[in-house]
Amino acid sequence: MGQLPILVVGGGISGITAAVEAAEVGAEVILIEKEPSLGGRVAQLRYYFPKLCPPTCGLEINFRRIKSNPRIKVYTMAEVMEISGEPGNYKVKVKIRPRYVNDNCTACGECEKVCEGERVSDFDFGLRKTKAIYLPYPMAFPMKYVLDKDALAPGDLERIMAACKYNAIDPDMKEEIKEFEVGAIIWATGWKPYDATKLDNLGYGKFTNVITNMQMERLASPWGPTGGKILRPSDNTPPKKVAFVQCAGSRDENHLPYCSYICCLASLKHSLYLAEQDPEAEALIFYIDIRTPGRYEKFLRRAQEEARITFIKGKVAKIEEDPETKDLIVTAEDTLSGKKINERVNMVVLALGMQPSIAGMEIPGLKVDENGFVFYEEGIIGCGCAKMPLDVMTSNETATGAALKAIQIIKRG
Amino acid sequence: MAIKVDPNLNVIKEIQEVGGDTLKKCYQCATCATVCPLSSDEAPFPRKQMILAQWGFKDKLLNDPAVWLCHQCGDCSKYCPRGANPGDVMAALRLLVIKEAVPFKFLHTFYNRPLGLIVLPLIALFFIFLGMIATFQGMPNLFDANSFPYGGPHYDIWIFHLPARVLMIDVVFLPLAAFVVIILFSAINRMWNAYVETYKIPQAYRYGMWTILKTYFIPAISEILSHSRFVKCNANNWRANPHKFLLYSFIILALTTAIVFVMADILGFHTPWNPLTHPVKWLGNIGGILLLYGIIDIMVGRSQAEAEKSLRTSYPDSFLIYLILFLGLTGFGIEIIRSIPGLKNITSLVYLAHLVIVFMLFLGVVYSKFAHLAFRTTAVVFDLYFKDVVQKMSK
Repeated sequence: MGQLPILVVGGGISGITAAVEAAEVGAEVILIEKEPSLGGRVAQLRYYFPKLCPPTCGLEINFRRIKSNPRIKVYTMAEVMEISGEPGNYKVKVKIRPRYVNDNCTACGECEKVCEGERVSDFDFGLRKTKAIYLPYPMAFPMKYVLDKDALAPGDLERIMAACKYNAIDPDMKEEIKEFEVGAIIWATGWKPYDATKLDNLGYGKFTNVITNMQMERLASPWGPTGGKILRPSDNTPPKKVAFVQCAGSRDENHLPYCSYICCLASLKHSLYLAEQDPEAEALIFYIDIRTPGRYEKFLRRAQEEARITFIKGKVAKIEEDPETKDLIVTAEDTLSGKKINERVNMVVLALGMQPSIAGMEIPGLKVDENGFVFYEEGIIGCGCAKMPLDVMTSNETATGAALKAIQIIKRG
Repeated sequence: MAIKVDPNLNVIKEIQEVGGDTLKKCYQCATCATVCPLSSDEAPFPRKQMILAQWGFKDKLLNDPAVWLCHQCGDCSKYCPRGANPGDVMAALRLLVIKEAVPFKFLHTFYNRPLGLIVLPLIALFFIFLGMIATFQGMPNLFDANSFPYGGPHYDIWIFHLPARVLMIDVVFLPLAAFVVIILFSAINRMWNAYVETYKIPQAYRYGMWTILKTYFIPAISEILSHSRFVKCNANNWRANPHKFLLYSFIILALTTAIVFVMADILGFHTPWNPLTHPVKWLGNIGGILLLYGIIDIMVGRSQAEAEKSLRTSYPDSFLIYLILFLGLTGFGIEIIRSIPGLKNITSLVYLAHLVIVFMLFLGVVYSKFAHLAFRTTAVVFDLYFKDVVQKMSK
C-alpha cells in the first residue's frame, strides 16, 4: 500500500483482531502490548463467550496469523506515552520496558527450575506466586520468559544465566523509548477489574474467601493456581455453596456509574463451572436485574437448567466472616418477599465491574470520557472494552470495524 | 393476585417538595435496607418505603411504622448507588405522615414553608393578645416591665390566687395543651390500629391498650432515653449525643414547668424567683443550658454533615432547629434582661417573644417535625410489640 502503518495499542482479543484484519488486507501494523505476552483478559479466562470456548481456541489461531504475517510487528511490555499529529500522520512515543530475556529464549524452562526468588502473579490476581523468571502463561506469545529483576533472590541471576543454554538472559537490557510514525491508531487497551477494596462493605481483602469474578476464572482455569479445581482460598476445599454478588461496583454512582454488561453472564457461567465440578454445589446469585442482553437470554435458561442456582433479587450490601470456619454470612433484602436474608456460604464471588485499563491515566493526545473510555475521533479509533464494556464477540466486531476505519484513513493518506 | 396500582401524583410532588426530591432515582436494589443498622430482618426499610413513595401510596406509608423507626443516620444515603438519598426521603415521608395524620392540615403548611415565619407568630400573637387583654383587662404597656408581665390585676378564683400573667398563660396554654393532647391521642390511636392491620397481627396477639403500655411502653421509653437505636448509626453517629442532650433538656424543662405550675398556679408561690438561690430555677437553668448546648451542637454537626454531603437539612429541619434555639435564647434572655436595670423595660418584649415561640413549639408538637416525639415513640412501642409477637409465633 505504501502508506504509513496502523498502530494498534493493546494486544488483547480486540487489538489482535484489529491487527490481523488490517494486516491481512495489506496494511502495515504495529501492535504494542503492555504485558509481556499478547492475549489480554481472554487468556485469563476458563471459557469465554458466546460459545464458552477455552481461550486457546480463539488465541492460538490468531497468534498463528500474526506469526505468519510479516506486516505485523509486535512489541510487548510497551506503553504509549504520548500521541501528537493528526489523522493520517501521527507521531507516537512508546516506552518499552526491558524483558531481560532476548529472542534466543526457547522457553525450555531450565532457568525457572534454578530460580529461587518469587513474585506475586498478577496474571493470577495474586492467587499464587511465580518465580522471578517466569513464562507469562503456557501459550504465551511471544513464547519467551520474562525476568522480574526486583524479585530475584541473591545468587539467582548467576544460577539462571548458568542454566540457560541459549544465552537468552540479558540483565543489561535498558528501557527504550521509540517513536513511531503512523497513519491511524486503533485503541484497544481493554479493561481492568474495578478495585474491590473500594467496596468497603463487601469484605474483599479482609475476608479470605471473598474473591473476584476474575479470580474465579483463574481458579477454574486448567493453567490456574489450582490446576482448574475450584477451591476456596482459606483451606483449599471445594465450596458447596457460593454467593455471587452482582453489580459489585457497577451501576453505582459511588463507583462505576455504568452497567459492565458481562458480569451477570459471568456469574451464570461460574455457576456452570461449579456444576461441572460438583453437580450438588449451590450458587446463590444476588442481583438487582439479571442482564443477559440479546441472545444471551438463552444462556440464562441454560444456566438455570444445568446448574443449581437460586436467584435472589436484592443487592448484597453486607458480608461478615465466621472466624472459625471462614464461611461468610451475606446479607441482602429479598425484595420479592420483603424480608432480609442472612445466608451462610463457603465462598463469595464479587461480580466486579469493568473499568477501562487506562482509567486514571492521562495520555497526551488521547481523549477519554469521565470514566476513562476512549472517545471516537477520526484517526484514533477505540474498540473493544476500551470503548465500552463488551463481551468477546462484540469486541471483535468493533475491532473489525476499527480496522476498516483505520484502513480508510491511511488510504486517504 | 391482582393489585390495583393507582399512583397519586400529588403525593409524589408533595414528598419531593419537603426534602424527598431524589426519590425517583431509586432503582430498588435494596442496598439501603441492608446497610441500615436499624432495619430489622422481618420488616426491613427503607427500600420498600422508597417504592411506595415513588407511587405516591400515601395510605400505605401512613400505616407503616418503619417510616418512624428510621433515625436518618444516613448510612443508606452514603451507600445508595443512585444518589437517591433514602434517608432524606424518609424524613420527607415523616412530614407527609404528620400532615396526613392530624386535622387542620393547613397548619402543617406553616411549619414547612417560609410563609409560616409570618403566619405562625401572628396566630400565636392573636391568642396571646386575646388572653392578655382579657386577663390584664385591656392592653398592657409592652415597653414597661411593671405593666407587662409584672403588672395587671390579681385574681382570686376559688382557692387559687393568680396574678394576671399567670392566668394569661393558663388561659392560652392549657387549652392549647389540651388541643395538642386530644389530636395526638386520636392520631396515635388510629395509627396503632393501622399498624396492627399492616403487620397482620393475629387476633390472639391483639392486646388492649393497658397491656401494651404495661409491657412495651416502659422498655420503649428506656430505649428512647438511652438512645439505643440512634447510637447504632454509622454515617452520622454524631447525631445521637446532641439529640440525647436535647431530649433530656426538654424533660428537665417540662419538669420545671410542671413544678412551677404546681407551686405558682396552685400553691400560690409566685415567680419571679431568684435564679441564684431557688432550686427550681437551678433545675430550669440546667435544662436551658443543656438545651442550648444540644441545639448548637446539632447546628454545628449538621453544617459539617452538609459539607460532607452525608445529610441534608431541609426547611422543616431548620425551622425546628431555630425555633428551639430561640426558645433557649429568649428563655435566658428574660432571666438576664430583667436583672439588668437599664434593660428591664424590654423584658416585656422578650417575654412576649418567648411566649410566641413556646406557642409555636407547642403547636409544633402536632404540626412540625417535632411530632416525631409522639409518633416515633408510638412506632418504637409497636416495633417492640411486633418483634415480641413474631418471636411468640415462631415458638
